[in-house]
Amino acid sequence: MAEPLLAIHNLHAGYEGQNVLKDVSLDVPEGALITLLGPNGHGKTTLLKCIAGLMKPSGGRIELAGRRIDGAEAERVVDLGVVLIPQGDMLFPEMSVYDNLKMGAYLPRVRKTFSEEVEKIYTILPRLKERTTQLARTLSGGERRMLAIGRGLLSGGRILMIDEPSLGLAPIVIDQIYEIITDLKASGRTILLVEENASRIIDLADRIHLLDTGQIVWAGGGEELQSNQQILETYLGG
Amino acid sequence: MNFFIQIIVSGLTFGAMYALAALGLALVWGAFNMLNMAHGIIMTLGAYYALLWAEIWGLPLFFAAPFAAICGGGFGVLVYFISAHWMLRQRNFEVTIIIATFGLGMAAEAGLLKFLREEFRTAPYSQPLSLGADSFLVGDVPVSYQRIVVWAVALVLIMLVGLFLTRTNAGRAIRATAQSRDAARLMGIPVKRVYVMVLALASGLAAISGIMLSSFKDVHPLMGGDPLLKAFIVIVLAGLGNITGALYAALLVGMVEATVKVLVADKYGFTAILVLVIAALIWRPAGLFGQRVVARQ
Repeated sequence: MAEPLLAIHNLHAGYEGQNVLKDVSLDVPEGALITLLGPNGHGKTTLLKCIAGLMKPSGGRIELAGRRIDGAEAERVVDLGVVLIPQGDMLFPEMSVYDNLKMGAYLPRVRKTFSEEVEKIYTILPRLKERTTQLARTLSGGERRMLAIGRGLLSGGRILMIDEPSLGLAPIVIDQIYEIITDLKASGRTILLVEENASRIIDLADRIHLLDTGQIVWAGGGEELQSNQQILETYLGG
Repeated sequence: MNFFIQIIVSGLTFGAMYALAALGLALVWGAFNMLNMAHGIIMTLGAYYALLWAEIWGLPLFFAAPFAAICGGGFGVLVYFISAHWMLRQRNFEVTIIIATFGLGMAAEAGLLKFLREEFRTAPYSQPLSLGADSFLVGDVPVSYQRIVVWAVALVLIMLVGLFLTRTNAGRAIRATAQSRDAARLMGIPVKRVYVMVLALASGLAAISGIMLSSFKDVHPLMGGDPLLKAFIVIVLAGLGNITGALYAALLVGMVEATVKVLVADKYGFTAILVLVIAALIWRPAGLFGQRVVARQ
């Protein structure tokens, strides 16, 4: 098997001596959509933060195309091509939609092509085009999520990490968001997706990892998960 | 009527001074929760650059401003690398940095006192620098051209800072960092470089406001203490980190101070400001323009 684009080996991490991640290993091959599934507070976000460089793991390795990136600063990791669309969007609330998008293209390697790329973003997320001058804090929940996705896409990069894209949204808006994610997958983007709700990703993911109390307790494809009644009942409430 | 004009004139002057000083403080606090107690000494140094430039070297004061801004900015960078840089990861950075920069300011003041006592013996301590002695009358109130220059410089600088923050990549990076630090890092913004840049910018502004201060106050090593205190009052009144709010609050504080000084007595000016702040904070604990109470988790 070819070397995965992103490889996580035996990762440990925690806050103030409390272990949140225990010996987590995970591969993200080029062009795949890999999911981390599991209830809240079991380390999914911590794992993404470690990969993105917002948190330092206490042990293990993270490799991007064979090159170690664990312990690197977040601003360096994104320059190497690992983009995180964080939980709760983390927009710049007092900036306009347009300026938020512009911040997504802050890095020199994407700044020059911003004016072309932003037009592409507008075709994927037409709602943003109607709102360009509006301050980010005045947007609705769904628009905020779209802005976070658009901003992340403008950072370019080789792998896109999306943390709970459905969090706090109405079902119909979640449908829209997942349509966008499905299109991104179809266009060949490599995606590491964190989700709490199994039904959203069961048909979409190339591989699903179930994270429980900081450990990966099960991994497999969507169909395998669907047919595994025991796993569904134990971890995902049926 | 004359009272009124007098109040407006001195209120605007106080307001312009406080606005410039508070602008720097608010920028630095906004970017990384650092209350820079060395801001005052940078104003003092600005006044001394001007003194050095105009009185010792005999050059036009107008050109002292860029020189002072660069020296002040350099001092800001120095403050960062002496104190903040090593403390960023500390859990209670917001508190320890106050003490650290307070210490830095005191050390610099002490150095200035010792050094200048020997070198300048008589010259600087009570020699206001004049930007121009002429004045014109509004009603019966003389308004010196010097004041006009102070207002104009403050206005131009504030507008330049505003343009820088909204129209340039570096400025947007500063705002992004202030609004969401982690998100800024996820965009690839080198936040530590942003911190240095903000401190340099704020300190450059402080040095220029020091020059302006020297045009109507005595130049001496402790002269920065009072405007620093007022600037703090202004940013707390406005709501920490709210930059536009700080400008309005500066004007308000300046006007209140001038009103009391003109109508009541000089010595009650500061008292009036404190009463204003206490009342405002009881009414709005997050500050007049603040959206959230700054509290430690």
